[in-house]
Amino acid sequence: MVESVKNNGFLVSVMGEIEKAYIQDIDNIYVKYCFVYGKDWDVTSGIEEGITQISKHTSGCPQFVWNFPIEIVFKSNNPHGWPQLILCVYGLDGFGNDVIRGYGLCHLPISSGSATKQVRLFVPQSSSSVQKFTSWLTGHRPEYIDPKILTVGDGREVTRTRSEGIVFVKFNILTKDFFTHGFDNNARVKRINVDV
Amino acid sequence: MAEVYLIGQIIGASEFPDKTLFCKWGISFGNNWKLISGKKEGQTQVDSPVYDKLTVWSHPIDVHFATRGVQGWPKLYLQVYHYDKFGRGEIYGYGFINIPMSPGTHSIDCHTWRPLGGMHDEFTRQFLGGGPQLKSPDLVYTGLDRYRLHTEAMGCVHIELSVILRNFDKYGIEA
Repeated sequence: MVESVKNNGFLVSVMGEIEKAYIQDIDNIYVKYCFVYGKDWDVTSGIEEGITQISKHTSGCPQFVWNFPIEIVFKSNNPHGWPQLILCVYGLDGFGNDVIRGYGLCHLPISSGSATKQVRLFVPQSSSSVQKFTSWLTGHRPEYIDPKILTVGDGREVTRTRSEGIVFVKFNILTKDFFTHGFDNNARVKRINVDV
Repeated sequence: MAEVYLIGQIIGASEFPDKTLFCKWGISFGNNWKLISGKKEGQTQVDSPVYDKLTVWSHPIDVHFATRGVQGWPKLYLQVYHYDKFGRGEIYGYGFINIPMSPGTHSIDCHTWRPLGGMHDEFTRQFLGGGPQLKSPDLVYTGLDRYRLHTEAMGCVHIELSVILRNFDKYGIEA
């Protein structure tokens, strides 16, 4: 029985919510999100990527609310490559075009329980003043062709970014068979404390 | 062998004299330790915040170690550089953190320092930038040879790190 559990790996079940954001100087925004994970990881159920509704800020306060649900279950036998959530925040400009307003990323929590993550946003900047001018003229801002490279952390030394805004994401995590594989993420200690 | 997984992010920095910053980081560890996968060093982008006090890097860390002993437990060392308007990088701070030995998620602040030069060095730094740097960055995470080094307090780097241990209880280690 234990042997069969070992072969199957452990499960990480995620229920969460892209709750809200604080961003200045903009009216309507939406979020594209996706999960990126290592090669030992698999999705057993749920959706890997999605798009929220377009939210308008509260009057007098730069707060946007999406209240957007996330549900996904991962399976793995190796914590290396732990899933990361990537958020790409887009806004609409005066002509109705989609303009990138920020990228953000965070790891999913490693232990069961609920947690709120504050994901800071940043956007890449043009590398020269000529590009800066043309992007101002055309309204096209520099963006990452594939935002998934952010999860690797390589090649960042060549980019310049500007940071602004913050997104609140809520996670509820449940792990299965994590301890039977000899892993320890401190969740068991927490549970004992709660029982006492 | 027991295994350690480190998963987390160098979130960003605050309280530095200027907010346009980037960071070089690395993980040092003892001879008993073996890096199985992941990167042990890297460099963040240059970020400048618009309104906020926090420079955002959101730089992911995901490494997997195997170990034969707890001696030489890994340390994360940081070098924060300021990127000035002429495109030059000047050192703004050195620092290291001990990676927590207990499993779970930790949020850690690393306070940094920079070496102070003589009066002449500080005067030229005021007008031209630059300033003294450490010849070998090993000094950041070792206590040797720091005697008579003059330093100045700089800002703070914020790190979130989750630690997962494997098979430590098999060897009688109570983490």
